[in-house]
Amino acid sequence: MEKKRVDEHEVEPAAPVRVDRFGFVKQEQNSTEGLTGSRSASEYEREERRIRKWRKMIGVGGSDWKHYVRRKPHVVKRRIRKGIPDCLRGLAWQLISGSRDLLLMNPGVYEQLVIYETSASELDIIRDISRTFPSHVFFRQRHGPGQRSLYNVLKAYSVYDRDVGYVQGMGFIAGLLLLYMSEEDAFWLLVALLKGAVHAPMEGLYLAGLPLVQQYLFQFDHLGKEHLPKLGGHFAQEMINPSMYASQWFITVFSYSFPFHLAIRVWDVFLYEGVRIVFKIGLALLKYCHDDLVKLPFEKLVYALRNFPEDALNPDVLLPLAYSTKVSRSLEALKREYEKHNGKQAKAHVKPGQ
Amino acid sequence: MASSGNKSINAKLVLLGDVGAGKSSLVLRFVKGQFIEFQESTIGAAFFSQTVAVNDATVKFEIWDTAGQERYHSLAPMYYRGAAAAIIVYDITNPASFERAKKWVLELQAQGNTNMVMALAGNKADLLDSRKVAAEEAQTYAQENGLFFLETSAKAATNVNDIFYEIAKRLPRLQPASNPSGMVLMDRPADRVANSSCCS
Ligand SMILES: Nc1nc2c(ncn2[C@@H]2O[C@H](COP(=O)(O)OP(=O)(O)OP(=O)(O)O)[C@@H](O)[C@H]2O)c(=O)[nH]1
Ligand SMILES: [Mg+2]
Repeated sequence: MEKKRVDEHEVEPAAPVRVDRFGFVKQEQNSTEGLTGSRSASEYEREERRIRKWRKMIGVGGSDWKHYVRRKPHVVKRRIRKGIPDCLRGLAWQLISGSRDLLLMNPGVYEQLVIYETSASELDIIRDISRTFPSHVFFRQRHGPGQRSLYNVLKAYSVYDRDVGYVQGMGFIAGLLLLYMSEEDAFWLLVALLKGAVHAPMEGLYLAGLPLVQQYLFQFDHLGKEHLPKLGGHFAQEMINPSMYASQWFITVFSYSFPFHLAIRVWDVFLYEGVRIVFKIGLALLKYCHDDLVKLPFEKLVYALRNFPEDALNPDVLLPLAYSTKVSRSLEALKREYEKHNGKQAKAHVKPGQ
Repeated sequence: MASSGNKSINAKLVLLGDVGAGKSSLVLRFVKGQFIEFQESTIGAAFFSQTVAVNDATVKFEIWDTAGQERYHSLAPMYYRGAAAAIIVYDITNPASFERAKKWVLELQAQGNTNMVMALAGNKADLLDSRKVAAEEAQTYAQENGLFFLETSAKAATNVNDIFYEIAKRLPRLQPASNPSGMVLMDRPADRVANSSCCS
């Protein structure tokens, strides 16, 4: 029985670790190789063509993006749904989310937040740093560049918005962003999302009482019953409700405990189309596994809902199924219904002057 | 479902406690016999199940491992409501986590489910050099509040199975009509079979 202190484990020998193409340390039985494996020449060419189209659409340093989106929003939507080329993903995310503009409008602000301000959440953040994507090469090294930038982004945000501060779950979002962009860019993207630069603000997911989580769960519950009545009935009988499996879908936008290659595809669409896609993916997962799920008793259900089979998590299967699921109209109606029941409490949390 | 000879019951158990106290690590040790140095923080809650045999009965624990951060507090009631047992975890090297544990105890007591078996776990007992909470203090507190207390180490695998086993032994399964107030949420068919001798 070793009596080593936790801290003594850090010094990672430079032993070669095997990582997947995204930098996550490989588990041995990991069989997602098909997704990375060697590509045929024609696939390679198609990828090259796709990248060229994207470069054209974005323009030098993003100069053509806005113009293109305004002229051909549907082309943009279609291309994003097929997946943003990985080499352009970071830049594209910043353009889509509106964070680029925030960055340009606020020179020096990030540095100020990181260097000169102190946050009440510093210890909470530190406690979670080594527990965020611990299997990724960038984040697993104690006090390494990954952990430092993760800390800086989260601390900066907790100062920028002291009402939200730091909430567990934000780390996975920040971590995902940091794999594609610099600290400062990641920070402004976080701001864009939480404050609602393009879509509805997400900060309600993290404010006291988690008002937006509650609302989304309510909406998801009803959508499930509407789209999959048989499964809905089975869930009701087994006393399963979405807060048992779906809260982290919303809180981290699938960046927690989902395969990374799926998470980034969801994020491509999420940034352009908004939180709708989270509902759609959720429903698609239930739909894909429907025939198994309806047979399972409570305990196996809870397990299954947190451990979807690999084929269900294949983006090229799951995303098309999600796209074909229509939710917008119901979502709106359910939101109104929720607000009626809950006296618009959610609104009470919005700070004046923000 | 419930076997006819041996008594077999399902018991909902919830883990509560401060961020990083080791809730997930305790469950992982109990359910899979593993320990992970850098356990991901829990977002929302996680679910596990594990069966233990006590005397002539088997108890299947349905375990809800909750997120420790105060902000997630509003999600907690749905996990502890109707639970047959709770393990409140603190970290012996962190006094604040002990204070947080006491708050959880108060909250569970206020909720009025007198049949709930409550255990207090002083975790990370392997880190003796950094101890900040005396075992005696926790023991006294536990006694005064009707909890049973063990110091555990998920890392060294000390007292982990024991705490679940002790809970199983203390479940008021022989008394019918357990926690009527808490039945609403989790009174699933499986439970009804197991408690078929009672209440309808
Ligand atoms: N030395 C030691 N470390 C432990 C022990 N149990 C847990 N840890 C470490 O403490 C950290 C937090 O453990 P978790 O099990 O994730 O804590 P948690 O209570 O589930 O935390 P949240 O999910 O964030 O609420 C991890 O890095 C564990 O490796 C223990 O018995 N001894
Ligand atoms: Mg945990």
